[in-house]
Amino acid sequence: MSTLHVVSHSPFTDSRLDSCLRICGSQDAILLCGDGAYGLQQSALHTQGVKVFVLAEDLQARNLSLPDWAERVDYPGFVQLSITYDKVNAWL
Amino acid sequence: MKFAIAVFSAAHAPSSRRALLFAQAALAGGHEIVRLFFYQDGVHSASNNIVAPQDEQDIARQWREFVSQHQLDGVVCIAAALRRGMLDQGEATRYQRSAVNLEAPWALSGLGQLHDAAQNADRLICFGGT
Repeated sequence: MSTLHVVSHSPFTDSRLDSCLRICGSQDAILLCGDGAYGLQQSALHTQGVKVFVLAEDLQARNLSLPDWAERVDYPGFVQLSITYDKVNAWL
Repeated sequence: MKFAIAVFSAAHAPSSRRALLFAQAALAGGHEIVRLFFYQDGVHSASNNIVAPQDEQDIARQWREFVSQHQLDGVVCIAAALRRGMLDQGEATRYQRSAVNLEAPWALSGLGQLHDAAQNADRLICFGGT
């Protein structure tokens, strides 16, 4: 059973992303959106081997560069990810 | 694919807009939305008294038009709505309040509708926070 974790809070304001990484399984993925896109600056993110996606508009709005270990998705891509993974867990 | 979408944030929060764009993309992709459930501060997204600044997007209006256009089941949690002063005509009359700020296409109902939607959908997607 795979889960897509949706994180919309910056890792620099709270520990949601850390908590998320702690419980992430090897089949899981993380979708960063909103201020969560700043998670791309968190080196811990790609050392875990979890797939990382970022919402394209939030990446662009914050003028962040896309690391080679992350992938950008638009809204149709977001919908597709929510289908590809068995469950979607939003870190409200 | 059947989606149930729960919105926990007000119309002025980025996550409410994100939920709307997700819902639009889901329908555009040929999927079905079995229900939209507005809970906690999400009930504000259904207010018809929101006046957005002219140079900003009116997400509450966009939600209303989206739900009407696609004849979706837009459910607003009644307990969350009442405590935030969101009343339809029936509740305003019942509690003798002067203002009505919730009209069709929205429907006030209970939390059971979220549970029901989650059971009937293939995926429950929640939007909230920032």
